[in-house]
Amino acid sequence: MIIADRKSLEEILDMIKDFKKILLVGCKGCVTVCNVGGEKEVGVLAVILKIARKKEGNPIEIDEKTLERQCDPEYVEQIRDIFDQYDAVLSMACGVGPQFLSEAYPSQRFFPAVDTKFFGGAVQHGIWEERCAGCGTCVIHHYDGLCPIARCSKSLQHGPCGGSADGKCEIAKDVECIWDTIVKKKMEQGRLEDLRTIRAPKDWQTARDGGPRKSIREELVQ
Amino acid sequence: MHLKNKFDVGKFTILAEMQPPKGVNVSAMVNSATRVQKAVDAFLVPEMGNAVMRMSSLGGAMILQRKGLETIMQVNCRDRNRIALQADLLAAYGCGILNIMGVSGEDPGLGDHHQTKAVDDIDLMTLFKAVSTLQTGKDLAGNELSGAPAFLVGANVNTRVTGDELEKELSRMAEKAEAGVDFFIAPPVFDIGAIAPFMEKVDLKKTRIIPTVMLLKSVGMARYLDRHLNVTISKDLIQRLMRAPDKATESLAIATEIISAVKAAGFAGILISAMGWEEKLQKLLDRV
Ligand code: SF4
Ligand code: SF4
Repeated sequence: MIIADRKSLEEILDMIKDFKKILLVGCKGCVTVCNVGGEKEVGVLAVILKIARKKEGNPIEIDEKTLERQCDPEYVEQIRDIFDQYDAVLSMACGVGPQFLSEAYPSQRFFPAVDTKFFGGAVQHGIWEERCAGCGTCVIHHYDGLCPIARCSKSLQHGPCGGSADGKCEIAKDVECIWDTIVKKKMEQGRLEDLRTIRAPKDWQTARDGGPRKSIREELVQ
Repeated sequence: MHLKNKFDVGKFTILAEMQPPKGVNVSAMVNSATRVQKAVDAFLVPEMGNAVMRMSSLGGAMILQRKGLETIMQVNCRDRNRIALQADLLAAYGCGILNIMGVSGEDPGLGDHHQTKAVDDIDLMTLFKAVSTLQTGKDLAGNELSGAPAFLVGANVNTRVTGDELEKELSRMAEKAEAGVDFFIAPPVFDIGAIAPFMEKVDLKKTRIIPTVMLLKSVGMARYLDRHLNVTISKDLIQRLMRAPDKATESLAIATEIISAVKAAGFAGILISAMGWEEKLQKLLDRV
């Protein structure tokens, strides 16, 4: 899923400083699962913002609404009747949400309350890690199901680099060197030979480097 | 006298584009450049235009500088991150390259290495900011430099636009000038009337604009430019080239006329793009 972190209170307060009445919109998709922008977090943020603004002597009115998904035009319609009753709309969905909202309601102004980070999952309660960079051409089968594109700091197809030490990446002591893990796994399974293959330079056209992407499923297009 | 001084005293400057080789054989580039060096004020060395891999602009410019020729090194945002860009700018200045031209760089999809990643770490305006920061003796991270460069900085401007697009282009040009751009290279011109709307809006005495004069190597090329690359070439001009018994002589005659018109209009100079006809440059320059 898409992992996001909530922006700092200061940054959010600064974004909405000129508004007196806003709608705070959550999303029941990924951001609910990673505990950043679901119904519960919408409620919490609304309370914190109201308290902070009251302290500043500049109270704000905040209504709350959490959509099924902000990345789906069908659910985006759920605020059609109310969107224009506010000075602005603050979205707690990933970066896709406020954009779908902006496109559906061009006359309203939308602000992001979260920073969208990566595709990943929870490795333990409260800790999420990156697993995929959406490169558009999945190659993890070459690496026993581990992705060096997303998980190696240098996206090496042939690793590890000289900075790998004690299983850790050169960028920080607490970052796993995925290449060390890949090599160990291959060794354990007696398939180290696999890594001798020199692969062609990666085709980055299918990744973000090829420009904005689109996926068309002919059988579904009406 | 360096290019900057020539601009300062108002000399009509002649620039020539000198493409580095795709490979290591530099003799053709060096020979074409040295042959016309007396008539050319500076050689513009492109940085892998259209994302086609070849010898870098820094390499090409250094080779020409070593022969005593003044160069303008093109720098793009596509192929290098901010570390490499700053490093190469320092290298360039250290090797005597006093003039640079910043460009964004075309998408790799247009070139010959489609699968690569474009870097685009910093954009063009940030690149100009990086240049001016280096000139104050600091790098982009705020660290002190041991000796600061002092470049003459160029950028592109599109003189062919009209209406709303012209307004946008003028605002972008002003933005670049504020960011430290000293001169502007404009696209190929074949009919000075086509850029009249631009000329009306710009004080050519205050802004150094250098249109490109391209040698038309064939009727086919003229038609292609006209149809596909948004370069207006009139039917009359194409017919003139068609009727000419010797296309090369006619093409040079056409270029000579354009150069005279550009000069008379008060532009700061011209950039000659010989399109592989570098050996004909001398003939053209003899006439100018
Ligand atoms: S190879 Fe590409 S698609 Fe597959 S997990 Fe890694 S980044 Fe994601
Ligand atoms: S240390 Fe490991 S994870 Fe870090 S860049 Fe090198 S190979 Fe990649």
